[in-house]
Amino acid sequence: MTLALIPLLPLLGAFIPCIFQNRHLNAASAGLIAGISLVLLLLQTPLVFTGEIPVYTRSWIPAIGLTFAFRVSGFGFLFALLVLGIGLLIVLYARYYIATEDPMGRFYTYLLLFMGSMLGIVLSENLILLMVFWELTSISSFLLIGFWRHRADARQGAFMALVITGGGGFAMLAGFLLLGRIVGSFELTDILAAKEIVHAHPLYPITLVLILTGAFTKSAQFPFQFWLPHAMAAPTPVSAFLHSATMVKAGVFLLALMVPVLGGSALWFYMVSLTGLITLMFAAYMAMFKDDLKGLLAYSTVSHLGLITLLLGIGSPMAVVAAVFHIFNHAAFKAGLFMLAGIIDHETGTRDIQRLSGLKKAMPVTAVLTLIGCGGMAGVPLFNGFLSKEMFLAETLGPGLTGAMGWIVPLGSVLAAVFAVAYSIRMLHGVFWGQPAADLPRSPHEPPVGMILSPGFLMAVCILVGVFPAFFAGPLIQAGAGAILGPDMPDYHLAVWHGFNMALVMSMVALAGGVVFYRQREKLFDAHVWCLRYLDGKTLFESLVAWLIQAGNRLIRFLENGSLQRYLFVFITATLVLGAIPFAVSRTPLLGPVPITPLDPATLVMGLILIIGAVATVKTHRNRILAIIMLSTVGLVVALAFTRFSAPDLALTQISVEVVTIILLMMALHLLPTTTPKESSKTRQWRDGFLSVLAGGGAAALAMAILTRPYDTISDFFLAESVPGGGGTNVVNVILVDFRGFDTMGEITVLAIAGLIIYALLHGFERKAPATDDMGRPWTRDRFPMILAYIIRPLLPLALLFSAYIFLRGHNDPGGGFIAGLITATVLTLQYIASGIVWTRPRLHYDNHIIMALGLILALGTGLTSWALNYPFLTSTYEYVRLPLIGKFEIASAMVFDMGVFLVVVGSVMLMLVKLGSINSEDARTVSFSARLDETLDNKPIEKEAH
Amino acid sequence: MEWLVSACFGVMTACGVYLVLRARTFPVILGLTLMGYAVNLFLFLTGRLHTHLPAIISGNQTRYTDPLPQALVLTAIVIGFAMIAFVVVLSLRALGELDTDHVDGRQEKRPS
Amino acid sequence: MINHLIVVPLLLPLLMGTLIVLNANQPIFRLRILGLSSCLAVLIITFILLFQSADGPIQTYVLGDWPTPFGIVMVLDRLSAMMLCITALLGLLCLAHAVRGTDLQGKNFHALFQFQLLGINGAFLTGDIFNLFVFFEIMLLSSYGLVLHGGGGLRTRAGMHYVLLNLVGSSIFLVGVGILYAVLGTLNMADLAVRMSQAPAENAALLQAAGLILFAVFALKAALLPLCFWLPDAYGFTSAPVAALFAVMTKVGVYVILRVYCLIFSEFAGVGAGLLSNWLLPAALITLAVGVAGVTGSRDLRRITAWLVIVSVGTLLAVIGTFQRETIAAAIVYLPHTTFMTAAMFLVADLIGRQRPDAGSGLVPDRPVRQPTLLGLMFLTAAVAIGGLPPLSGFFAKVMMLIMVKDSAGTPWIWGLVLGGGLLALVALGRTGILFFWKLLPVNEPGDAPENSHAPVPVYALADVFPVAFLLGISPLLVFFGGQITEFAFAAADHVINPVHYIEAVLGPDRSFPLMYSLGGQ
Repeated sequence: MTLALIPLLPLLGAFIPCIFQNRHLNAASAGLIAGISLVLLLLQTPLVFTGEIPVYTRSWIPAIGLTFAFRVSGFGFLFALLVLGIGLLIVLYARYYIATEDPMGRFYTYLLLFMGSMLGIVLSENLILLMVFWELTSISSFLLIGFWRHRADARQGAFMALVITGGGGFAMLAGFLLLGRIVGSFELTDILAAKEIVHAHPLYPITLVLILTGAFTKSAQFPFQFWLPHAMAAPTPVSAFLHSATMVKAGVFLLALMVPVLGGSALWFYMVSLTGLITLMFAAYMAMFKDDLKGLLAYSTVSHLGLITLLLGIGSPMAVVAAVFHIFNHAAFKAGLFMLAGIIDHETGTRDIQRLSGLKKAMPVTAVLTLIGCGGMAGVPLFNGFLSKEMFLAETLGPGLTGAMGWIVPLGSVLAAVFAVAYSIRMLHGVFWGQPAADLPRSPHEPPVGMILSPGFLMAVCILVGVFPAFFAGPLIQAGAGAILGPDMPDYHLAVWHGFNMALVMSMVALAGGVVFYRQREKLFDAHVWCLRYLDGKTLFESLVAWLIQAGNRLIRFLENGSLQRYLFVFITATLVLGAIPFAVSRTPLLGPVPITPLDPATLVMGLILIIGAVATVKTHRNRILAIIMLSTVGLVVALAFTRFSAPDLALTQISVEVVTIILLMMALHLLPTTTPKESSKTRQWRDGFLSVLAGGGAAALAMAILTRPYDTISDFFLAESVPGGGGTNVVNVILVDFRGFDTMGEITVLAIAGLIIYALLHGFERKAPATDDMGRPWTRDRFPMILAYIIRPLLPLALLFSAYIFLRGHNDPGGGFIAGLITATVLTLQYIASGIVWTRPRLHYDNHIIMALGLILALGTGLTSWALNYPFLTSTYEYVRLPLIGKFEIASAMVFDMGVFLVVVGSVMLMLVKLGSINSEDARTVSFSARLDETLDNKPIEKEAH
Repeated sequence: MEWLVSACFGVMTACGVYLVLRARTFPVILGLTLMGYAVNLFLFLTGRLHTHLPAIISGNQTRYTDPLPQALVLTAIVIGFAMIAFVVVLSLRALGELDTDHVDGRQEKRPS
Repeated sequence: MINHLIVVPLLLPLLMGTLIVLNANQPIFRLRILGLSSCLAVLIITFILLFQSADGPIQTYVLGDWPTPFGIVMVLDRLSAMMLCITALLGLLCLAHAVRGTDLQGKNFHALFQFQLLGINGAFLTGDIFNLFVFFEIMLLSSYGLVLHGGGGLRTRAGMHYVLLNLVGSSIFLVGVGILYAVLGTLNMADLAVRMSQAPAENAALLQAAGLILFAVFALKAALLPLCFWLPDAYGFTSAPVAALFAVMTKVGVYVILRVYCLIFSEFAGVGAGLLSNWLLPAALITLAVGVAGVTGSRDLRRITAWLVIVSVGTLLAVIGTFQRETIAAAIVYLPHTTFMTAAMFLVADLIGRQRPDAGSGLVPDRPVRQPTLLGLMFLTAAVAIGGLPPLSGFFAKVMMLIMVKDSAGTPWIWGLVLGGGLLALVALGRTGILFFWKLLPVNEPGDAPENSHAPVPVYALADVFPVAFLLGISPLLVFFGGQITEFAFAAADHVINPVHYIEAVLGPDRSFPLMYSLGGQ
C-alpha cells in the first residue's frame, strides 16, 4: 500500500495548499506532502538496489484489464527520486519566486497535482493506469502553463501543449490497447516478457508507431518540438520542473521502458534514432539564436531530449546506460539553470541576453552557479554533462550504426555538440561578462538566500557527480539501467578519465568549435533569420486549428441549413428508400394469395369523391378556407368508409373528431393569413410532387400487399372473451376500456397534455384579429348569429341527454366515453360560437383543468382499486343490476374508467377551444380560471356584446 | 375493392406528403391532417375489408370483423386530434413570435 | 405474487402530474414540492427495481390480468431498469435546477415535466409495440411543451421544426406497426419475435420493410444522420434544464433500436434476421463524424453541447452496430456516463452564461464571471469527463468500448473516429474554457458600457449549483465502482442479446421453446 501512497499522497493532498491564505503555510503544506512521499519512496531503497521490483496490485475493472497496480523498478525509482527531489527544491524556490499578487495556493495545488501524476507514470504497473496518469500530466501542465491567464502567450502556449500532448496521448492509448490485445494483458511484468510475441505480431508496426507518437509529442521530439518553447510562458519554477526535468522526460522514460519489448527492430532503430538526431541538431541550432534566456534553455532542453532519444534508438546496452545517466545529469543542471534564469529575470527584470551583460559583479554567486550549469550543459570536463555526453559520443561510433548511419550520426552529434558549446558560452558570457548593463528595469543584486538555495544544491550535485561519478551516481545508474537491461547489463565504470580515445577527440572538437562559432555568431544570425520563416511550428499549429474550426463550421452550415422543408424531404425520402429496399433485393411477390373482393358502385363513388377531395385540397391549398372545406369532405368520406366496412365506432369517432377539428382550423384561420403566397419554385414543386407520387405509390402497393395476404390474429381471443371476460358485447369498446385499457389511459393522457400545452402556449398571448381577410373583404361584424343562438340554447339539454345515451350504450353497442365526450364538447362549443364567451362563460361555470384532472384521477382510481384485491393495475370486474324503466342493466368497473375518458375529453377539448376562441376577440380578458372574475362578469351587461 | 381502397390510401398519402413539404404552417397542418386520415385508414386496413360484420357479439352472428385494428385506430384518431390541435395553436404562437407563418420563421416575401 | 413496483414509475408521475394540474393556480412552491417529491419517490423505487433486476430474472407485469400476448405487458429487464434509474436521477436533478426560476417562465411546467417522465419510463418498460407508440406520443407531446416552455422567437422556430418532424415520424411509426400486425397478427413484442421466426419466406420483404421503416422513425428520435439536424437548435435554444433532461431522450431512441432489433429482428428471427447489420454501423459512424465537426465548428457552448449529444449517439450506435455481447456491454457502460455528462454540460453552460451579461455562453471574450473558481472547476470537470480524459468516467468508458470492438470490419473506423473525435472535442472544449475563464475583458473598459448598464448578474447559492455538482459527482462514482458496473453491463447485455430470456419471461417456456429449438437450444 505504501507504494500506492507515493503518487496518491500528492494527488489527494493537492487541494490542501488551497485552503490556507498564508503564503508560508501554502508552501509548507506542499513541501510537507512532497516530503512524506519522498520518505515513503526512500523506504524502498534497499529492495530496489538489490534489483528486486516491489509490486502492489489491487483489482479494479477486470473487464478491461485495468488493475490498481504499482511497481518500483530501479529506473522508476531513479525517476521518482528526480521528481520528488527536484520537486521539493522547486517548492522552496517558488515560495520566493511567485509574486504576492498571484494566488500561491492554487499554484501549489497544480504543482502537487502534477507531481502525483508524474509519480504515477513512473510507478505504474498497469499500462492503462499509466495512461491515466499520463493524460493527467497533460492537464496539470496545461493549468500550470496558463497560470498567468492574463498573458496571451501563456494562453496560447497552454492550449498548444494541451492539444499536442493530449492528442499524442490518444495515439499512445491506441498503441497501448493494441499492445495489450497482442500480449493479452496490460501488466508491465507480462508485457516486458513478451518481446517475441509482440515482434511476430502483424500489428507490431502500427502499435510501435502509435506509441512512439505519444512519446515523441510528450518529449517534444521533431516535428512536435514547437510546443515546448512556447510552454516557457509558464512561471519559471514550472519550466524548471515540468519542462526540463520531469514531464518532458516522460516520453524518453516510456521509450526506455519499452526498449525491452518494442526495441531491437529496424523500424524502431530508424524511427527513434533519426527522430532523435534531427531533434538534437535542429534544437541545438535554434538555441544558439534565442535572445530570451528561457527560450535558449528550452531549445537546449529539446536538443538534449533528442540526444537521449537518439541513444535509446541506438539501443545497445551501453547506449541505454548512457541515456539513463544523461537523463539524471540533464535534470540536475537544466533545472538549476532554469532557476538561475528565473533569478536573473527576478532581480534584473529582463531575460533578454541582448540587454543583459556584466552581471558578474552584482551577482557573483549566481554567476558561479551559472558557470557550473553551463559547464554541464556544454559537456566540459569535470562537470557531470561531460561524462554522459562522452559516453554518448562513444556510442555514436558503436558497431550498431552501419552504412550511412555510421557517419551521419557521429557527424551530426559532433555538430550538435558544437552548437551546444556555443549557446552555453553565449548564456554565460553574454549575461555575466562585458560592460555592466546600464538600462536594466531593476538594479541587479543577489537574490534572497532561500531562492539561491535550490539551484545551489543542484549545482553542487553537478560538480560532485562530475568529479566522483562512480561514488555519487554509480549505484543509482546501476539500478536504473539494470532495471531496463536486466541480464545483458554491461560492466562499465564511470570515471572522468577514460584514456585518450575517439570520443574525447570529438568532445574537444566540439569545445573548440563552439568557441569559434560563438565568436562568429553575428554572421550566423542573418542566415538564421532566413530559416525562421519556414521553421515556426506555432503559426502552423494555430492556422491548422483555425482551419479545422472553419471547416467544421462550414460543413455544419451546409448540412444544418435550418430549412424544415429539406429536413422533411430527407426524412421522407429516407423512409421510402428503406421501405423499398427489401422489395428491391428480394424476389418475393408483392401480392398475396387472397382473392380480390368485387367492387360495388356505391363504394366506387365514395372512393372517387375521396380522391377528388384529397387532390382538391392540394389544388386549393393557397385559398385556405376552400382547402378546409375540401379537407372536411375527405374526412367525411373516410368516416363513411368506416361504416361501409363494418366499423361503426370508428365512423362515429371520425365524424365527431372531424367536426371539432374543422372548428379548430376555422378559429385558427381567423388569425392566420387566409391565403398562402406563391413562393416555392417550379423545380421544388416538381421535386416535391415527384416524391409525393412515389410515396403514394409505395403506400398503395403496401396496402395491396397486406390486403391480399392471409394472417392469423390474436383477436379471436378478444371476440371470445369480450362477453364472459369483459362483460360487453361491443368488442371494440371492451378492448379500449379493458383488454387494452392501458393504451386508452395513455391516449387520454395525451389529450390532457395537449390541453395543458395549448393553455400554456396561449396564456397571455393576445392577437388582434385583422378586420379584413387578405382579399380585403371585411369579416362580418355580426359575431354571434342570432338564429344559431336561439336554436342552440334549447338544444343543449337534449344534446347532453343524447351523449349520456351514447355513453351508456358504449359497452354493448357503438358509442362510449370518448364519442360522448366529443359530442358534449361540440355542443358546448356551439354555445360559445352562438352566444360568445361573455354570455356563455358565467353560465358554464367550471374550470376545464379541474374536469380534465378529475377524469384522469377517475381512470387511475379505477385501475388502482384492483391493487387492493391484489390484481394487476386496470383489472376489471362487472355486475348486472335491474333498474326501473331501463331494465336489465350492467355496470362494469370499466365503465367508471370510461367515465374518466369522458371527462378528460370534455375538459381538454373545452380547454383548447375556449382558450383559442378567447385570444382573438376583445373579450379575451374575460376568460380566466377563478370564479371571482366570473362573478364580476355576471354584473356586466350582456346585451351590448351580443347584439 | 382492395384496389380502390389502396388507391385512396395512396392518394391521401401523396397529397399529405406534398402539403407537408410546403413552406407555410397552414398547408403543412392540412398535410398532417390528410396524412393522419391516411394512416388511420391504413391501420384499419390491417384488419382487412369486411362487409356487414360489425364486432358486436350477438347469437345469430358467426363471423366478425377484426376488432383490434378498430381499437387501435380509435386511439390513433384521438392522439392525432390532440396533435393537430396542438400544431394549430403552435402555428398561431409562431405567427405571434416571428410574425410570419413561414415554417423557418423567414420574413414575409409578399407577392406583389 | 405480483410486483406492483414495476408500474409505479408510470403511475406515480401520472398521478402527481394530475395533482399538479388540480393545483394549477396554487402558489408555485406547492407545485415544486409535488414535482420534486414525485421525482424523489420514483428515484427510490427505480433503485429498488435496479437491485432487484441486477441479480434476478426478467420480471413482467400484465395489465388487466389478461394472459399474454393478449393483454399489454410491462417488462423489466436489467437494461430497462438501468434506463429507468438514469431517467429518474436525471429528472430529479434537472427539476432541482429548474425550480430556481426556469419553471416560472411559463404555465404548466411541472405537470408537463411529470408527464414527460411518464412517457420516457413507459417507452423503457412496455413490451407491446402499439403501447410503445402511445408512450412515444406522451413523451413527444410533453417534450413539445417543454421545448417551447418560455417562448421566444428562436425557441419557437426550433420547436416548430422539432414538432413537425416528429409528427410525420409518428405517422410513419403507425405504418410500421400496421404492417407488423397485418402480417403477424399480434402486437406483443415477444410474440412478434416468435411469429417472426416462423414467418414464411413470401412475407420476408414486407416484414423487413416494416423493420426498416420503424428504423427510420427510431433514427429520427435517436438523431442519427441524416435525421439529426433538428437537434442542435431544439436543444440549443430551449431552457437549460429541459435540454439537460433531453440528454436522455435521444437515448430512448437508442434503447428502442437495441430492444427491437435484438428481439423482433434478432439473429434468430428467420426472415427478419440481422436486419440492421449493414445499416446501423455506417450510419452511426457518419453521425459521429459530422457530430464532431459540429462540436468543432460551433460558436456557443450550448450548441457545442447539443452536438456532443449527437456525437454520443453516434458513438453508442457505432459500438452497438456490431451486435455482439461485449460491444453492447461497452455501450451500456458508456450510456449513463454520456447522458449525465452532456446534461451537466448544458446546466454548466447555463450557469456560466447567466454570469456573462454580454456574451452569454457564446465563444467571445467577456468580463470575468462572478465566481470563476466555482464555475471553472465545474466546467473543467465536465470538459474532462466529456473529452474522455482521465481520471473521469469518459476515459474508462472509451477504453472499454475500444477494447470491446474486436475483429469487425468497422473496428479501425470506430477507433479512428472515437479517438480523433476525442481530440477535436478536446480542442473545442479547451478553447471554450480559455475563452470563458482566461481571456477576459477588463472589468470596465473605457468606451465600454459601464457596469451598471447590465442587469445585475446572479451570484449562485449552494441550491443553484447543487444539482450540477451532483451530476458531475456521478462521474467519479462511475469510475470508482467501475468493476461492479461493468459486471452489471455484461449481465444486462446477456439479457439483451439473447431474445430467449425475454420471450420466456413474457410468454412462458412453452411459447419460447420452439424458438429455442429453432436455434438449437440455448
